[in-house]
Parts: sequence; structure tokens; C-alpha cells
Amino acid sequence: MDTPDLQCPYQESRLKTTSSLVNQAKSNITNGILKKRNLVWLELNGCSGNIISLLNGQDPDFQYLITQMTNFIYSNSLIAAEGTAAIDQLFSVIGSDYILAVEGAVSLKDNGAYNIIGRNNGKLVTGLEAVKKLGTSASYVIAVGACATHGGVSAARPNPTHCVGIQSVLQRKVIKLPGCPCHPDWFMGTLAYTLLYGESPLDNRDRPLMFYSTTIHERCPRRSYFDRGIFASKLGEETCMFKIGCRGPVTPIDCPVRQWNGHVNWPIGDDSPCIGCAQFGFPDAMEPFISYDTTREG
Amino acid sequence: MTEKITINPVTRISGFLEIEAEIANNLVVNAQTKGMMFRGFEKMLLGRNPFDAVYFTQRICGICSTAHSMASTLALENAMNFVPTEQGRYLRDIIHGCEFLQNHLRHFYQYTIPDFVKLPEEYPLFKVDHMDYRLPKKLNDKIAKDYFDSLDFSRRAHQMLAILGGKAPHNHGIFIGGITSQATIDKIISLKSILSEIQTFINEIMIPDVYEIANYYSEYYHIGKGYGNLLSYGCFYNYKDLGTLYVNPLVYANNTISVFNPDDITQDNEYAFFDYKNDPDIQKQHAYSWVKAPRYNNVPFEVGPLARQWLSGEYRHGISVMDRTIARVLEAGKIASVLKILIDNLIPGVSVQKEYVVPEKSSGRGLVDTTRGALGHWVYIDDGKISFYQIITPSAWNLSTQTGNMKGTAEQAIIGAPVSNISSPVEIGRIIRSFDPCVSCATHVYTGGELINSIQVV
Repeated sequence: MDTPDLQCPYQESRLKTTSSLVNQAKSNITNGILKKRNLVWLELNGCSGNIISLLNGQDPDFQYLITQMTNFIYSNSLIAAEGTAAIDQLFSVIGSDYILAVEGAVSLKDNGAYNIIGRNNGKLVTGLEAVKKLGTSASYVIAVGACATHGGVSAARPNPTHCVGIQSVLQRKVIKLPGCPCHPDWFMGTLAYTLLYGESPLDNRDRPLMFYSTTIHERCPRRSYFDRGIFASKLGEETCMFKIGCRGPVTPIDCPVRQWNGHVNWPIGDDSPCIGCAQFGFPDAMEPFISYDTTREG
Repeated sequence: MTEKITINPVTRISGFLEIEAEIANNLVVNAQTKGMMFRGFEKMLLGRNPFDAVYFTQRICGICSTAHSMASTLALENAMNFVPTEQGRYLRDIIHGCEFLQNHLRHFYQYTIPDFVKLPEEYPLFKVDHMDYRLPKKLNDKIAKDYFDSLDFSRRAHQMLAILGGKAPHNHGIFIGGITSQATIDKIISLKSILSEIQTFINEIMIPDVYEIANYYSEYYHIGKGYGNLLSYGCFYNYKDLGTLYVNPLVYANNTISVFNPDDITQDNEYAFFDYKNDPDIQKQHAYSWVKAPRYNNVPFEVGPLARQWLSGEYRHGISVMDRTIARVLEAGKIASVLKILIDNLIPGVSVQKEYVVPEKSSGRGLVDTTRGALGHWVYIDDGKISFYQIITPSAWNLSTQTGNMKGTAEQAIIGAPVSNISSPVEIGRIIRSFDPCVSCATHVYTGGELINSIQVV
């Protein structure tokens, strides 16, 4: 598509919310304007928390994703088949049109031996090998969660298994959805946009602008406390947590307006600081997570 | 004639697992469970701020992150000689209980049901690789519908978790003292309302579903027993005013229940990919897995819902694949009733947070039973930083590698099982899933040269 006018990110997000995008995609599929596309969900070295977060999705939910939006081909956590039948199904997509979603980091140490995702014709398949194979021929690649976007916690110092984000092993555009985990709406919205219009407008680090355009601090409901210099000195206070290490000022993501788990709460709403899980550099660049008055002298 | 079969990946679990089994005359005569991933969390934690362990260790596991926030908080409180208030305990135990519900709903419907129930095959995710589906079509289709209906309730369990914990997975609520925020009337009534819906689903749909499956697959009451040793660190227990709502720290072996003693835990790495200094060693001779071998009194133990149901006296029908699955479902109902009591005892508007100070030098341990069983975190603090961290997860107990000639818990449960069709060994998958394996939890260990039994705890 043409380069969109991005002067006002709020306008963009209002026009293209996850549910309106998904409904549009659905009606286009129903009316035969769009064909259902294949989706492969590849888990690498991580905690498998992004597929669990995806199951928390609502409007659209997981059932809708696999029955109406896509041909959901593979997820290690959810596929009925196991062993050879499962791995054959995974690699059967090569040569067809498919979107690849990846969670978890790529472990490079000893040629990937620290993360084996299955056996193909009797031979062990490393995460490294799988992501290269599937990532090269996919129509789109979406890195879901911090480990896939930049290594995340799997790459925390001293990075015992030499984990990296998937971009480091793929010479192609990778759409990046940092977060620990990725919010289901960030994935569903990005996917719906891809189905409808192709690649969604991205920032200079390949994050979709409709979710990652504005820092938490800019839209924080506790911003007025910051402006008036009223700061929390410990967890559990209902004021600004800037001085106890809140990473909202450096983390561009829509948590303040979207919130989590059916939009009921979020870390700052829970009287705890943002730990910058949706920003590159998480976790090492965001620590310490918990400190008491970072501006105190002595 | 003995034939060797390999299942890799074992799907519908958390993380990556291979099972190798030798089969003679349609019986499994030998088995190895192999954890296929490693990240090294204990090494990563060295030098970090001890308080950060609460959020950091949750990233070990996406499906049971709350468990790690519980164990790390308990270990830190132990190191700080800090005793939380009862309100603090209620609040964090409610968060923990919500995670039990989320896990059990998803493990039963999304991970276990596809072994027994044919899901709509027009969707590629549900293509079948075996023919052993026995339910009459009407019943099959009813439970297939429940597979999808359950998604709403597991999501709602995480929503309850987020009401007190900020978000899920990887909550922000559980911390030293209890939780970060306060209970308020609107939160309490939200929790009660959601819980009541989940409780109805468990009692009216989930429990009948598991017994329907058990009727058609009744030989699984006699498959997959294993050693029959059961262990729990206890959970939802020993409240000052409420007493024990679920299970105390107990063990069951040789037909006897006795009190659990944490000093009797050891961990071995004879067949795991670690060298004599406990550094990863992928070339190690005879090693076959990233999972070590925790032992209690030098023998393997089973942990998880069946162990807890048995030790608490709630369910003592037997020890098998089907008993494990039924115990998990019944436990969901039990946890829902425990949650109701805890929520009813909340006092709104009580802050449990203080400005805590990291001890310069100390050590602590946090042991608690979590969804999949007994979880332990051990921490050493030196110069105000983490100088040692050790985690032994429930799946490390259940998926443990062998020591000497003694097989791990799940390995022993697989040995002796019938396999009617060697090209489609559905029995093995059913046995291993009855343990609800979480390999991302089981295989991060890295002990930095110390055996667990050498730790002196304050």
C-alpha cells in the first residue's frame, strides 16, 4: 500500500483497531474477496508464553483465529498430531503461501543444539534450522514477543546458549512485536492488517505503528502526578512510579489504553512499575525492575 | 524382537520433549524421556538484584509463570526473615489459585482431550494421527464443543489473575509481603462473579467430561502407574485463622504417608547434559536429557494434582493415567472452592507493601506446590546481589533422568505399558501427558557447581 499519513497515531489506531480490522478480514473472507491464508506458529527457545497469551485473546479469540481467519497449520502446544505426523505437517507448508509467527529466541550455540524442536526423517531439527527454512519462504514473518524480536530473557546476560532474535538469522523483513508476553491484540491486529492490506505501517525498527507509536508515559493515567511531582516511594502507591524505576517513559506501547486480560488491569494499574517488557533491551537494559527511589542521594 | 520408537516432538505440552521407547511383544520394555531445550536461568540470575528474581524467574514458563513468582517471593522472604500478613498471603494465594484454574482447564481441554476426542478435522490443527477414538459421535461432538467453550473459562481465570496481578502471563502482583496492590470492593465482587461462572463450568461440564472419557478408556486405570511415590510441598495450607484449606507438606511411599522434610531432597545429573562442575556439556557420554534427577531419600517421586489429591485425602482411587487426569479435573473444583473461601476473607483497602531492604548477605528457600507439583527456589545473597540461585521444578521431578539403574518417574510409568500399534504409539503420549509436562520449566537448570543438599538455609 501507499505510505500512509502517520502524523497522528491516535487517528490511525482509531481507524484500525484490532476488532474492526478482524471484522473486515472476516467479511472479506466470507465474501470471497480474500482467501484464508495458512498460518504457522513456531515455538523456539523460550517459555511458550506467547501462545498462552494468544489463547487469552478476545474479539477475536483463538477459535475465531483458527476457524474463520486462517488455516492454522502448526503449534507445538496445540496440534493434535505428534512426532513425525506433526513435523511433516509443519514443513508441508514450504512451497505454499503462508504467514510465519515465531515465539522464542534462536539459540546459536553449538549450531543450535540447545533447542531441538523435533525430528525430521529421524534427524534432529534445531530451532535455528527450522526458523531459517520456514522464515525464508514465508510470505510474512512476525516475531511475537521479546525473545523472538531481540532475544529477550532467553538472551539475558551472560546469554548461556547464545540466543538472538530471529532477525539475526533471516535476511528479510521481520515484523516485530516486542512484549513479554505479546498482547493477543497486538498479534491479532497485526495479522488482520496483513490479511487485509499486506504489511502494516511500521516504525524504523519494524514495529507496527498502530500499537507501538506512543510511549506509556505519554498516555499514562498517572501522568498528572508526574507533572505535579508526586512520586511513589514504594510499590502499592497510587501515584507516579517514575522514581521507583518505571520504564513507561522509554517504552512505546499502548498498555495504558488497551490494558490486559480483557482490558481489566495492567502493571501500573496494579501499583507496580512498568518493567519495559515491550521495549528492545528487555530485560538487561530495563533492570533493576524493583528499586526504592532511584533519585535518592547516597 | 525389540523395536525402538521415537516420538519427537511430543506435542500438546509446554516446551520440547522426545520419548524413546523399546518395545517387545507390544509392551514397552525400556523408555527415556528427553528434555530438548536449555536456557540457563540460574546462571543468568547471578549478580542481579534479588528483588528482580520475582519478575525474572516467571519468564522460565509461560503457562505457569505465577508459580515462579510464588517460589521466588517465598525464598526472598525467607532470606529476609520476613513474615507476611495473613491478608498478604490470602491475596497472593488467590492469584496463585487462578493460575491453577487456567492451567487445569487448558491442560485438560487443549492438551489432553485431543488424545481421546476427535476435534473437527476440517481444521489442520486437528488432523489425527491415530485411530483409537472410541466415544459415540454425539458424545464426541459434545466434548469437542466443550474444547472451544472452555477457552472462555481459562481466559476468565487469567482475567481474575490480572484483576489482582496486573496481567497474565507474567504477573506483576505477587511480591514480598503479598501483592503490590490492595483488594477493593469492586475487585472482590469481580473475582466472585467470574469465579462463580468458572465453578459452574468445572462442576457441570468439566468433571462429567472426564468421567465420560474414563468410561470409554477404562484400561487407563491400569496403565502408567510408575513407582507410586507421591510428594507435595503443600499449598493453601497452615493459615493462622483458616488452617489448611488444601494440602500440607507430605510424602507417600511404601503405603505410608509421612511428613515432608526439605533436607532429604537431592539432585543428581548422572544422565543429564552437565559435567562434574554442573556446566552444560552437550558431548557428555550416556547423557540424554537436559532434565536432571531430583530425588527424595534417594528415590524418584511423582508430584502434581494426583499426589496432592491423594495426600490430602480428597481422592484415593488409584495411581494411573486416568487417575492422574481425573485428579487434575477434581482439583480444579477443589481450588475453586478454596478461592471462594480466600476471597470471602479479604479485607478491602489493606496495604501490604513496605520499602523493603535487600540483605547484604543471606540465603533462603521457597518451597510451594504449584499447578504441576512441587516447586523449589533456593537463593544465596552476597553483597546485596544474587550469588547463587537454584530451581527444582515439578517437571524436573516427573521427567527426571535415571540415576544408576533407577529410571525417572515418567520413564517408569511408561515401562510396562502396552503399545498396540507400533507405528502409532498413542498410549505413550497419553501416559506422558497425564503428568502435564512443562519442559521449558524442567530444563533451565544450571547450578554452578553446588549440589542442592549442600545448601544451608537460615
